[in-house]
Amino acid sequence: MSDRRDATSLFASLFVGIFFSLMWCSRAFAHASDRGHVLLLPTHYYLFGGMLAVALSFLVLVFLPPEGLLRLSSQRLPIARIRFDGRGFVSCLSALFLAGLIYTGFAGSRDPLSNPLPLTVWTLLWVGLTLFQGLAGNIWAWLNPWYGPWRLILRLGVPSRGFLRLPRAIGMIPAVLLLFAFAWFELIYPAPDDPARLAIAVLTYWVFSMLGAVIFGYHGWSRRVEFLTIFFTMISRLSLFSLRRETGRSRVLFVGVPGHKLRDTAALPLSGILFLLLALSSVSFDGFMRTFLWLGAIGVNPLEFPGRSAVVLPNTIGLLSMFAALCTAFLLAVRAGNALAGGEPPRRAAGHLVWSIIPIALAYHFSHYLVAFAINSQYALSALSDPLMQGWDLFGTADMYVQAGVALGAESAWKIWNAQAFAIIGGHVFAIIVAHMIAHRLYGGRKRAGLSQIPLAVLMVLYTVFGLWLLSAPTGG
Amino acid sequence: MSEDRILKLDRRNGLSRRTTLKGLGAAAGLIAAPGFVRYGQAQSSAPIKIGFQCHRTGIGAAYGRWYERVTAAAAKRINDAGGINGRPLEIVIEDDGTDPKRGAEVVEKFANQHKVDLVYGTLFSHVVVGSAPAAGELKIPYYVVSEGYHVASGKLNRYCVQPGITDVKAQVRSVAPWIAGNLGKKVTLVYPDYAFGHDHRDFFEPAIKAQGGEVVAKVPIPPTETSFTRYFPQIPSDTDVIYHVMVGPAVLTFVKELGEFFGSGGPQLFGFIDSLEAVDIKSPGLEFLEGSHFWEGMPRYAQPDQPDYVTAYREAVGIDENGASTGDAKDISTAAHMFGCWETLNIIKASMEACGYRGPEDRAAMIEATEAMTEMEAGPDHPQGKKLFNGKTHQVFGEQSISQVSDGKLKVVHRTSIEDGSYEPEADYTTMSF
Repeated sequence: MSDRRDATSLFASLFVGIFFSLMWCSRAFAHASDRGHVLLLPTHYYLFGGMLAVALSFLVLVFLPPEGLLRLSSQRLPIARIRFDGRGFVSCLSALFLAGLIYTGFAGSRDPLSNPLPLTVWTLLWVGLTLFQGLAGNIWAWLNPWYGPWRLILRLGVPSRGFLRLPRAIGMIPAVLLLFAFAWFELIYPAPDDPARLAIAVLTYWVFSMLGAVIFGYHGWSRRVEFLTIFFTMISRLSLFSLRRETGRSRVLFVGVPGHKLRDTAALPLSGILFLLLALSSVSFDGFMRTFLWLGAIGVNPLEFPGRSAVVLPNTIGLLSMFAALCTAFLLAVRAGNALAGGEPPRRAAGHLVWSIIPIALAYHFSHYLVAFAINSQYALSALSDPLMQGWDLFGTADMYVQAGVALGAESAWKIWNAQAFAIIGGHVFAIIVAHMIAHRLYGGRKRAGLSQIPLAVLMVLYTVFGLWLLSAPTGG
Repeated sequence: MSEDRILKLDRRNGLSRRTTLKGLGAAAGLIAAPGFVRYGQAQSSAPIKIGFQCHRTGIGAAYGRWYERVTAAAAKRINDAGGINGRPLEIVIEDDGTDPKRGAEVVEKFANQHKVDLVYGTLFSHVVVGSAPAAGELKIPYYVVSEGYHVASGKLNRYCVQPGITDVKAQVRSVAPWIAGNLGKKVTLVYPDYAFGHDHRDFFEPAIKAQGGEVVAKVPIPPTETSFTRYFPQIPSDTDVIYHVMVGPAVLTFVKELGEFFGSGGPQLFGFIDSLEAVDIKSPGLEFLEGSHFWEGMPRYAQPDQPDYVTAYREAVGIDENGASTGDAKDISTAAHMFGCWETLNIIKASMEACGYRGPEDRAAMIEATEAMTEMEAGPDHPQGKKLFNGKTHQVFGEQSISQVSDGKLKVVHRTSIEDGSYEPEADYTTMSF
C-alpha cells in the first residue's frame, strides 16, 4: 500500500512540477495562432524547463525504490466481460465504408477539404485514430478493413495460414518499407491530398494487403507487413485498457495505469525497432522540414516557399537522414547503457527498451497535428455528411461553419503552445518512467538499471528540447 | 446542375443551408416569373464553367480559404441575378497546393478534363508564373487575382489578364505622393532581401523622387532573419519615414523590436498590410503600430462613411465590422486582396456578355472583350472602388486606401487616385497572336 502511495505521489509530483513551471511562464506572458505569435512567447523557458523536468524525473527514478512503480503498473482492474467477437462484422462494415470513401475520392469533390477521403485518411485515421489508440486501446483490431473480408474469404476454403510462408529472416522489413512509402507520400509527394490520387493509392494498398493476407495468412501478414496494423497495435500498448481472452469467445476488459502494457512486452526484432523509430522520425521530420533552419540549409527562401514539387529530392534525403540519425542515436544509447551497467548485457536490450519510445511518438503525434486536427476534423464532419456533394445532410453537420479561429490569434497560439509543450514534456517524462521499469526487469538491481539508463535519458532530454524547438522555431513552407 | 454546384460551393464556405436554399428558390422563381426571360431565352442553359485554381493547401491556404468564400458569394450573386448570358455559373475547384508545377497541371486538367470555359482565381505569383505558359498553350483564358507585376510586365501571354486587382507597382507608386506630402520626404526602406522586397525598393525609390523626396537608406533583411534589432542602427537619424514591408512569421517580432528600439519616439511608419493580412492588429507585439499608416487594397474595418454597396459586399462575403468572419471573430479575413475575386468574376461576366460568349470557340473573343474595357465605376460590381483597365498590359489600375492605426483598428485617412499609381505601359499583349 505504501509503495503504491509512493508511486502515486511520484507521478503527482512530476506532473505538478511541470504544470507549475508552465504556469510560471504564463504570468510573464498572458497572451499569442500561428508561428508568429509563438515567436513572441518565452519558449526558451519551456525548452529549459522541459529539459530540467525530464532530467529531474530520471534522477528521481534512480533514487526511488522501484517496487511501488512496478506494482502500480501491474495493477489491472476488470471492468467488463465481452461475450461476443464482433471484429469480423465491424471490419466488414469498415471495408464497405472504405469502399464508399474510395468511390468519393474518384467521384466526389475535387476539393481536398470537401472530399471525405483525404480528410478521413489524413485527419481522422492518421491523427485521430492514432490518438484514440494511444488512450483507449486497440479499436483498429475491429476497424481494420481486411480482417472481416479475410474471414469471409476463409469460408471459400482458403486456409487460414495462407498458401505461403513469409521468410523468417525478413522480420518486419516489409512493414518498415511500407511505412517509409506512406511517410514519403504524406510528407514529400506533391499532392497527397488530391482525392483521386489518394483514392488510387488507398485502393492499391487495400488490394495489395488483402492479397497478402490471403496468400500469407492474415496473422502473419498483419504482424510483419501491414504497417497500419503494426503501428496502431504498437501505439495501443500505451492505452489504459487491455483485453484478455478467457474461454471461448468471452474476453475481459481491464483498465490499468497508462503504459501498464508496455512494461513486459516482448522484445522487438531489429526491424521492429527500426519501424518504431521511423514512425517517430517521420513526424519529427514533418516539423523539421518546415523550419527556417532546414529550408535555409537546402537553399530555399522560407518566405518564398516554391512548393512541394521543388523540394522532393532534398526532403527525401532529409527524411532518410533523420531516420538514420535517430536509429544511430538510440542504438548507441542502449549500447552505451549496457557498457555503463557492466556485467553481462541482457539479450535484446534495444528491442525491449524501444517500447519506451511509444509515449514520445504519441506526444509528437498529438503536438504536431493538433492544429491541423482542430480545423480539418471540422471539415471532415461536414464532408462526411454530404460525401458526394449532392446536398445531403446525413449527420446534420453538412452546413456546419468551420471555425478556423480555434487555431488563430495570439490567445489560441498561447493555449496551443502550452498543450503542445505539456504533451512533449509529459511524453518524455513518461518515456523515462517506462524505460526505467523495463530496465529494472532487464538489468535487475537499482544501480545497474539506473546506470544503464543514463545515455537513454540524455537522448530523451535532447529529444525533448528538439521537440519543443520544432514547435517554437520559425517556419515557412 | 449549376444550382447544385453553387450549393456545394456555398456549403463548403459555411453559408447556411437556409440562405443557400432561399437563394436558389429566388433564382428558380425568377425563371418562372413573367417578364424575366434571361434563362429562358438563352440559346443554351448549360452552365458556364469556371475553373477555380485555389490555394487550398500549402503556404497559401489561409488566403485560399477567403478567396473561396468570396468566390462563392460572388458566384451566388451572379446566379441569383440570372447568371451570365442567361446561363448559370458553375465553379469547379482544384487545389494547386500553392505549387507552380501543380498549378500548371491544374490548368491542364481544367482544360482537358473538366472542360471549363476559363481558369480563374490564382493569387501567389510563383503559381501564376508557373501556370501561365500552360494557359497560353491550351489557349484558355486565365484571369488571375494576384497583384503581381508579372502580368503588366509583359512576361506572360495574351490569355493571362489581371482585371480585378491593382498590381504591386501601381500600389507602391500610388502611396508615394501622400507619404511625401504628409509623413516626410526622407525615407528609409526596410524590406526582406528577395524579389518581393526588391520590387518594393525598385518601384518606390523613383516614385518618391518624383515627389521631391529621397530614399536616405535601404535596409535589406535576410529572409531567414528572426531578430532585427541589430539592423536598426542602419536607419539614419534624419529619417522622416520608415517604409517597411516585412513578411513571414517574424513580422510581429520585427514590430515589437522596432518599438523597443525607438521607444515612444522615432520616425513615422508606413507599411503594407500584406505584412499583417489576416492577423489581428490588436495582437500582442503590435502596439508600436498605433498611429502608424498602412496601404490597404480595400479597408479591413468597416468605415463610417462607406457606401451601401460596400456594406452589401461585406455582408455577402461574411465579414463583420472588424473584417473578421461573421461566424468566427478570430478568423480575420484577407480583406485587402480578396475583393479581387469578386470584381474579377464580375468582369468575366461583363466580358462574356459583351462578346456574346457561347463556348470555348469564343475564348479569344472574350479576351478581346476584356481588353476593350476601360473605366469601371465603383459600385456593387466593383466595391473596392473605381478602376481603369489597360487592355495593352492586361492590368487594371485602381484607387487605394491609406489607413491609420487608431485604437487597434485601421481607419482610412486618404484615398489615392488612379493617376497616383498609373505608369506608362511596358507591354502590349494585343499585338500578340492568339
